[in-house]
Amino acid sequence: MRPEDRRYASSHEWAKQDGDTILIGITDFAIDELCNGNIDDLVYCDLPEAGRQVDAGETFGEIESVKAVSDLLSPVAGEIVEVNPTVEEHLEAMAKDPWGKGWMIRIKPASTDLSHLMDAAAYEEHIATPH
Amino acid sequence: MSAWRLITTWGASPEFNMGLDEALLLQGEQPTVRLYTWAPDTLSLGWFQRLDEVPGADRASRRVRRLTGGGAIHHQHELTFSLTAPVGLAPYDGTVPESYERVHAAIVKALAAVGLDARLRGDDPLTSDAEATGMCFHHSTPLDIAWGGAKGVGSAQRRRGGRVLHHGSIKLGTTSLEGPIATFEAASQQVTPVEFGPHLLRGFEQELGLELRPGVPSPAERACAEQLGARYTTESWVAQR
Repeated sequence: MRPEDRRYASSHEWAKQDGDTILIGITDFAIDELCNGNIDDLVYCDLPEAGRQVDAGETFGEIESVKAVSDLLSPVAGEIVEVNPTVEEHLEAMAKDPWGKGWMIRIKPASTDLSHLMDAAAYEEHIATPH
Repeated sequence: MSAWRLITTWGASPEFNMGLDEALLLQGEQPTVRLYTWAPDTLSLGWFQRLDEVPGADRASRRVRRLTGGGAIHHQHELTFSLTAPVGLAPYDGTVPESYERVHAAIVKALAAVGLDARLRGDDPLTSDAEATGMCFHHSTPLDIAWGGAKGVGSAQRRRGGRVLHHGSIKLGTTSLEGPIATFEAASQQVTPVEFGPHLLRGFEQELGLELRPGVPSPAERACAEQLGARYTTESWVAQR
């Protein structure tokens, strides 16, 4: 079971409220889709500068595995106020701890309402369903 | 079987080729297989590559930056294909490596039909591997297709918003930038893109369960492709990294 202290997007990003900000990362499922368990296949991650505004569903960065580039989509709208400085240089750390040290950006949201996203149970069902 | 559209364009401009692939990724109205070639010859950088990582880039007539990852490809003497469809539709109903395995199984079958004994590289080293050229065909992974001890097919994907664009380049002959890689010519096979295309399509149909129907881009897709494609050869786009 994935952590229940956050919400999930169908595009496999998670959003976790932290005070008046929201932390954003990607799920273990997304990582496994990219590299099929071989985290050495993750080769590059491009994250934005702090200060940028994003809309919900907008691309905020990209992650590259040996064979694919995937867009990272923001689950919420707001201002990116902090970027995890270690992720771009240490993708293996992000892959090993996607729920904690692997957070990617911190957003000051236009709204802290995350009800448009899935809870952990719904996300489990989402990834278990062929689509 | 799932119905896919087939769009074939021989000798199209780099702006058209890249613009149409992006339009199909963003708003393709049907799952689509494209077969195409380029005129003039064009070097495509991988999405994250810097231009100065490809020392021979100036030797190609034109330069673009692809949406897909990986290394640079000199699009000359080759058949290029793309497969654009939503995640969840075969071959995109598993992980990225699984989708490669399925697409590459189809290509290996097509190559066998013209007498090439191609297989996945696996753990075998390749004579085409080379340092510091930035070229896709000089870097290999276990899932890459090889024959004669060298790499002969380049592949890369872009995944955006629940949709996938898979690019592939199958080498019929080599180029001044790519040197001694695996090609049809190196295996003493003189086959043109037009002649090899039907073999590749049969491989996709048989291995991926596709039912291909010839078609063309819709007016909306074409308009989107023209708008998006114009930027692909601009200096700001090519040198953005």
